[in-house]
Amino acid sequence: MSSVNEAEFVDAISASHSESIESATILRSKRVSVVVKLEAILEVAEALRDEYGFKTPSAAGGVDYNREDRMQMIYYLFNPDSKITLTYRVDLPRDDPSLPTLTGIWEAMSFHEREAHEMFGIEFEGHSNMIPLLITPDWRGGYPLRKDFKGEAPAE
Amino acid sequence: MSEPTITPDIMRISWGPQHPMSGQTRILLDLDGEKIHKITADLGFTHRGMEKILENRTFLKGIIPIERMAMIDTPNIGIGYVMATEEVLGIEVPERANWIRSLVCEMSRISSHLYAFGLQVEATGFFPAVFLWTTADRVLLLDLLEELTGARFSYNFFLPGGVMKDLPEGFEDRVIEIVHYLRRRFKDYWTAMIENVLFEIRCNDVGILTPENAIRLGACGPVVRGSGQPIDVRRDEPYAAYADLDFDVITEPACDSMARTKVRFREIGESLKMMEQIANEIPGGPIRTRFPLFTRSKPGEAYSRVETARGEMGIHMFTNVGMNPYRVKINSPSLRHMYIFERLCELDRMTMADVPVVVNSLDVWYLDADR
Repeated sequence: MSSVNEAEFVDAISASHSESIESATILRSKRVSVVVKLEAILEVAEALRDEYGFKTPSAAGGVDYNREDRMQMIYYLFNPDSKITLTYRVDLPRDDPSLPTLTGIWEAMSFHEREAHEMFGIEFEGHSNMIPLLITPDWRGGYPLRKDFKGEAPAE
Repeated sequence: MSEPTITPDIMRISWGPQHPMSGQTRILLDLDGEKIHKITADLGFTHRGMEKILENRTFLKGIIPIERMAMIDTPNIGIGYVMATEEVLGIEVPERANWIRSLVCEMSRISSHLYAFGLQVEATGFFPAVFLWTTADRVLLLDLLEELTGARFSYNFFLPGGVMKDLPEGFEDRVIEIVHYLRRRFKDYWTAMIENVLFEIRCNDVGILTPENAIRLGACGPVVRGSGQPIDVRRDEPYAAYADLDFDVITEPACDSMARTKVRFREIGESLKMMEQIANEIPGGPIRTRFPLFTRSKPGEAYSRVETARGEMGIHMFTNVGMNPYRVKINSPSLRHMYIFERLCELDRMTMADVPVVVNSLDVWYLDADR
């Protein structure tokens, strides 16, 4: 199951997890995007690693769509056999962005989730070491990569 | 940083950011005698908010800050951003421009690998001899790059749609001259360092990263190839002119610091082969297509992957209607390797003296990790 092309992968995951995913699309050759429902994120992630061969975690990061009042958390995964890069996405409400951590499935997502937490304010439930990665711990200026960030510290 | 509980027989040492061998980061080492008990990386000393800066600049102006991510290897980072821009804006690149891009990228890769090799030698206690040799040899490459691009570092040479300038007259001959010279020098390096007994003692069986762990922890570039996995973006999804160039993906089975050093070293040989091929076979034609200064983008996204000297780098660019990218996500190889470095002391026995050897064999560039 691990060494298949993009179309076969999209067909397989659409069939096996039709209830759990919102969409699975081929962006171009070697690029696939899967948008998952928040409640099924762990279950689909485990299937991606064990059944579909996305064993290598590349990175993770967020995108803030403030006009649509949502955020998207994106995990970048790589399949070393079929060489496909998957962007595994989940939509989050902007006023309370929180999701279960995926460090139990891809341990190396730890640094990337810490970065997404300090840059976007996304909460990762169950992350064992949620301390700032890049920003100084006494930073009080808000979440820099949100679109409404003004670069000023709030008055104390 | 939150302070973990320290039991009385564990000593904590702060290594960096002012230590001469550490680079611009702080690494907290919990030592049990000589043995490393735990490594905690304290990153962010050179965080510049690169992703936020890129949101506030036009596509063309973004090339300038993004190349500052790793000063030693600027073209390989610039090409990732430029390729993402071309994909979202739908710009075609002429063939000759692609070949010139590959030439500049390979020259920069050699320069970066030479620097990494010099640092590795320095970390094992052979300063200054070989570090100065590699520095002197890098100058020859920088002279060539200066002649072509006008700068010794941070070239800003790649534009969406092509490259800035064509090759100067007689440039191909000078490239071949340098290739022959560097091939001679690499025989010297190999016998002086790689086959040196003391260098072997310091690097063999140090920081072992098994193939399963390399895949599981997200290693890329020379690190994953040093664990015997033939993963290389230039081969897996060829960009620039790599589809037409002959090169081998170098792997080493030993999985230790020596294997990673050898992979880098043998990759220099492959890069020289490519430089020679480009100088002999470069096709003619235009060097860029027109890219209007004020280009408006449509909503869309592009994810480009390139092989920098440190490993795979990904640029995920989102666009809206406008002249700036909506969001740029930079996936840097050094951040991935920094996590592996934290975990290596638990996967394999490591002593205090091994720390500089291991961190240099991973070739972590902190400015790249911090962005």
